[in-house]
Amino acid sequence: MICLHIALQGSTESLLRRSERKYKEIVIVDQDNRIHTSKYNVLTFLPINLFEQFQRVANAYFLFLLILQLIPEISSLTWFTTIVPLVLVITMTAVKDATDDYFRHKSDNQVNNRQSEVLIDGKLQNEKWMNVKVGDIIKLENNQFVAADLLLLSSSEPHGLCYIETAELDGETNLKVRHALSVTSELGADISRLAKFDGIVDCEAPNNKLDKFTGVLSWIDSKYSLNNEKIILRGCVLRNTSWCFGMVIFAGPDTKLMQNSGKTKFKRTSIDRLMNTLVLWIFGFLVCLGIILAIGNSIWEQQVGDQFRAFLFWNEEEKNFVFSGFLTFWSYVIILNTVVPISLYVSVEVIRLGHSYFINWDRKMYYAGKATPAEVRTTTLNEELGQIEYVFSDKTGTLTQNIMTFKKCSINGKIYGEVHEEPSQKIEMIKKKEHADFSANPKADSKFQFFDHNLIESIKLGDPKVHEFLRLLALCHTVMPEENSTGQLIYQVQSPDEGALVTAARNLGFIFKSRTPETITIEELGTLVTYQLLAFLDFNNIRKRMSVIVRNPEGQIKLYSKGADTILFEKLHPSNEDILSLTSDHLSEFAGEGLRTLAIAYRDLDDMYFKQWYKMLEDANIATDERDERIAGLYEEIERDLMLLGATAVEDELQEGVIETVTNLSLANIKLWVLTGDKQETAINIGYACNMLTDDMNEVFVIAGNTAGEVLEELRKAKENVFGESRSFPNGHAVCEKKQQLELCSIVEETVTGDYALIINGHSLAYALESDAKNDLLELACMCKTVVCCRVTPLQKAQVVELVKKHRNAVTLAIGDGANDVSMIKSAHIGVGISGQEGLQAVLASDYSFAQFKFLQRLLLVHGRWSYFRMCKFLCYFFYKNFAFTLVHFWFGFFCGFSAQTVYDQWFITLFNIVYTSLPVLAMGVFDQDVSEQNSLDCPQLYEPGQLNLLFNKRKFFICVAHGIYTSFALFFIPYGAFYDVAGADGQHIADYQSFAVTMATSLVIVVSVQETQDIP
Amino acid sequence: MEMKLKDNLSRLPDNTAMKQQQLPACHFHFSATRILTAFFAIGALCLVMGIILILSSKSAKTIEINYTKICANCAKLQENAFNFDKECTCSIPFYLPEKMQGNVYMYYKLYGFYQNLHRYIRSRSDSQLLGIDIKNVEDCAPFEKSHNGTPIVPCGAIANSMFNDTIILSYNLNSAIHIKVPMLRSEITWWTDKYVKFQNPSSRNLSNAFAGSTKPLYWSKPAYELDEEDPGNNGFINDDFIVWMRTAAFPTFKKFYRRLNRIQHFTEGLPAGNYSFNITYITSFQGEKAVVLSTLTWDGGSGLFLGFAYTVTGAMTWLVLFSMIAAHLMLKKRKTFFLQQ
Repeated sequence: MICLHIALQGSTESLLRRSERKYKEIVIVDQDNRIHTSKYNVLTFLPINLFEQFQRVANAYFLFLLILQLIPEISSLTWFTTIVPLVLVITMTAVKDATDDYFRHKSDNQVNNRQSEVLIDGKLQNEKWMNVKVGDIIKLENNQFVAADLLLLSSSEPHGLCYIETAELDGETNLKVRHALSVTSELGADISRLAKFDGIVDCEAPNNKLDKFTGVLSWIDSKYSLNNEKIILRGCVLRNTSWCFGMVIFAGPDTKLMQNSGKTKFKRTSIDRLMNTLVLWIFGFLVCLGIILAIGNSIWEQQVGDQFRAFLFWNEEEKNFVFSGFLTFWSYVIILNTVVPISLYVSVEVIRLGHSYFINWDRKMYYAGKATPAEVRTTTLNEELGQIEYVFSDKTGTLTQNIMTFKKCSINGKIYGEVHEEPSQKIEMIKKKEHADFSANPKADSKFQFFDHNLIESIKLGDPKVHEFLRLLALCHTVMPEENSTGQLIYQVQSPDEGALVTAARNLGFIFKSRTPETITIEELGTLVTYQLLAFLDFNNIRKRMSVIVRNPEGQIKLYSKGADTILFEKLHPSNEDILSLTSDHLSEFAGEGLRTLAIAYRDLDDMYFKQWYKMLEDANIATDERDERIAGLYEEIERDLMLLGATAVEDELQEGVIETVTNLSLANIKLWVLTGDKQETAINIGYACNMLTDDMNEVFVIAGNTAGEVLEELRKAKENVFGESRSFPNGHAVCEKKQQLELCSIVEETVTGDYALIINGHSLAYALESDAKNDLLELACMCKTVVCCRVTPLQKAQVVELVKKHRNAVTLAIGDGANDVSMIKSAHIGVGISGQEGLQAVLASDYSFAQFKFLQRLLLVHGRWSYFRMCKFLCYFFYKNFAFTLVHFWFGFFCGFSAQTVYDQWFITLFNIVYTSLPVLAMGVFDQDVSEQNSLDCPQLYEPGQLNLLFNKRKFFICVAHGIYTSFALFFIPYGAFYDVAGADGQHIADYQSFAVTMATSLVIVVSVQETQDIP
Repeated sequence: MEMKLKDNLSRLPDNTAMKQQQLPACHFHFSATRILTAFFAIGALCLVMGIILILSSKSAKTIEINYTKICANCAKLQENAFNFDKECTCSIPFYLPEKMQGNVYMYYKLYGFYQNLHRYIRSRSDSQLLGIDIKNVEDCAPFEKSHNGTPIVPCGAIANSMFNDTIILSYNLNSAIHIKVPMLRSEITWWTDKYVKFQNPSSRNLSNAFAGSTKPLYWSKPAYELDEEDPGNNGFINDDFIVWMRTAAFPTFKKFYRRLNRIQHFTEGLPAGNYSFNITYITSFQGEKAVVLSTLTWDGGSGLFLGFAYTVTGAMTWLVLFSMIAAHLMLKKRKTFFLQQ
């Protein structure tokens, strides 16, 4: 456990003590705010950059060859044959790195030289950002960037409030509120008092968690707990606040922004891996050829060269045949290295880059609604887009629009909301609604539509439960109100669900007006009421609920809670049974229509009880050990014996083109798994809505067991069902080797006929992911056309992806839009981010991003397929070309005494790949289209070769190599035959080495170029 | 609003054929008739070419005389180090049954001489041969300098091992009259070699230009005295030297030696009759030496290989063509059969 200790003695003198409790050791650090994102400076650029470049296997290999070539004894090629391409590649990369770094320097300088006002010697002085130190007190003004991670001390707004925008950190554009401790907010703008501020902050070590901070401020003999609400992070922008003061807690590289800019994991495609294996094989092949030729050389030296030597090599002493063979071996390794030329790696990168640009440029993947073109964030994965077998999709915001509309509610056991039956009634309702909204509520959001007059009637009648329900919606949330220039009330929302609920309350007469850290003001049917906010029990993925504790003007303390029904129902008071059963019926009805539901409950609190509880909460907040656990326990403690009010249902419409996309993907034999946090019913409904589940499916298995045994049982049963009774699994199966199992699985998969679907909830999934049930789950899931996992946590999403990735050896793609999809996006082979409503985290973690789910089919079926096809054709051709080019030397070896004489001119060898044959093959790799985009969309089955890895695999490679060897054979022996004993028309002999070399080179270029226009095997 | 619209438009990718991957492309549409026609044409072309080549190479007359064994005595003589550069002449009589019409070319042919060895082929100094700097012997290892350190001109293994047997052809009208067949030694090199790649150092007197250098180890005369008859044929631009320096691709090769001067008896070519080669044998090596007399055809002295290669390719193409026709017809029949059903 590491903890940071910041002590302030006077404003300019600052200490950062990093104490490691375990060792009772205190380290004093003086950290300034300078940041370095640049890697090099003028002096270090060359050595560091070269060192980095030669860490790549390919570059190191070519360097090794270069060194071999510099040894005169074995240099069979002049040094420039390797150094020209190598220098070209290294220079290009270095120039690219240098420009990147230059811009980084520039932005570093710009950022480091930004001015901020720092309290120095009791005065505010302008200081560059880089000179700001931990412990300094900084004044920020409206719309300024925050220079470092600050502890908010005071601000211009009442109660030490301030508003920040965190777009640069997490991409969310809504305003967030931060408030200072009340003790420090009293300091206000009093420079002299601020200058004397000498609090000591004990806090966690620098980390990259943007939404978490724990620390304690000790000041004037008291301790105050600090959390994320008191901290302003570097990278934020101050908004709607004229000024604020803050103390620097983390500076420079310690800030959460900089801690987050970690290295991203380097993804590689399966073709990359295959290529690496092949290169190793080729190297082995080269060694074999080298050995053959070296043995040939030893024999030749002994039989022929021995006598020949005296004649040709005059005064050299006798050489050992074996040693001569040894040297020849290395010479041939150098000559034959052109089988894997450096340009292969360069070309592959260029082709991938080209494909990436095509995706960026695609107008058909441009979403006009948000002016977002598709974006390739990782340019090295394109061909893998053509091999996807499994797509893991989030639901909310990915399949659906994530634009929430309040549709229905159940209050006190009664349903309100849209009624479908009689159209006449509906028209009437619309009229009524319009009338009601307009007259009673001038602050209503004009876009809001709710078609039930009953609710409005009930409000008018003053039903206390309905009022309480709406009051809760107006009070229990994290929405920030804001008035725009025309004086209209605008809500800044973090989650669209909340926005929908608060807007609904607003339209129904309970208007949320403003909030301070200690109060919430709402307008209840025309009267302004201010509630005292006593405690805020925030939402997280484990709690799945949030609560507020408020004191109303009458002095009553109430806890309002909303959250996932499963969680909330467990917390209810026993007297709620009747309403509980009614409400759960309603909930499943809502969910059956694909609506997102929340349960709503409240609790009246006793003053005494609350005070005791609050005391404990304060203690827990200050505590440094197990603080989170203690707070969670306290939250559990007070959120019980709730009284159920009802439930809300919010609709999230399907995105445009989702159904068509899902159908096409399934035709392309891509299995779509939906991983969602939603309720089972909601998820199933969406499944039906987008054609993933259909009525003519043989069976839809629902796994919802509550214990490991139950889950296993259900899985086995479902499996038996699929395979039929006749074909039960062998018992020994479970202990079989994993590989065998996989094979079995794929065999079984072929024998299974009919469509099945699997639905599993998060609870059961946790058991199913355990080792003994894992294989059953996997086998069953692989047999099913559709798999829906509901109520899953972000971690489970990633686990499911990992499971398939690991055991199925298939290429996976994860697509999502929210922060909860980040882990899944990162663990899949390819991560796709939907740039949508929920901020940018998913996009930032992704490899590809676009605005609409429907673009996925274009990405995979058109771009992915083409990329795969082109890359495979390119690789086949490239290996063919270079085998044909290089192996000629092998044949020639038998005619030149195995002396490692090359067939071609040295410059031809140097330039063959980078000049003579580079452009056609690049053009093919970048532009070639086997079928038009329309055809590949119309016929998704064309996608399958990629999944089966048919276009480039080891077999294909061998065929290409054999073809190359054959070509080199013909290329050598036909000219040999033709040149043998030949004379020109004027009697001059043309069977000289040079003519032969030129003829071979010319015919080689012609042959490989013509071969390119043909289909490579 | 307008700003926003502009911004929106600026992010919209350009609608160009390149960016939208709609560049014009040409697709081959293969139909049975087209393929069959193409195969037929290629096959026919190859067959015709092949037959022409075979016929023409048959019309060329060639006579090759291997003198390794006949001159074995000379070789033996030279094995003794003392007689290393002693001249030894051997005479090889032969009978020409048919006359050789037209231009007749004389070649020497070496069997098993590896002019394509990696170290051998590089052992020359181009800057020396261009006459730029005759002292430049950098690349000539191991024949750079003589024992006393003077640079060798021309240096290098290639030059050192130059073929320097002298071959004289005489026409024996009868046992008494031996006419020396007039031979030309000019125009036996590539024009570019003679006038571009090989240049004597610019000096009025060649021997002065070569001063301070020494002749190659195995040579009997220095380079500027190679041709005693024609002073313009000395130094680096000596035809025999240039021919030798153009290294052969394979260990068995022939090199141009002389061409018939068509005067007196020989205006028509070489008449049939008795001839003899008088060979001044200089050096021996492990392989064999031969001398070749040959006439040429329009395509030069190509062997039979190219003709056969064309014929075989043509025949194979037609074989494939016929099997494709058969397959095509069968499928067509079956198709119509199915259609009828």
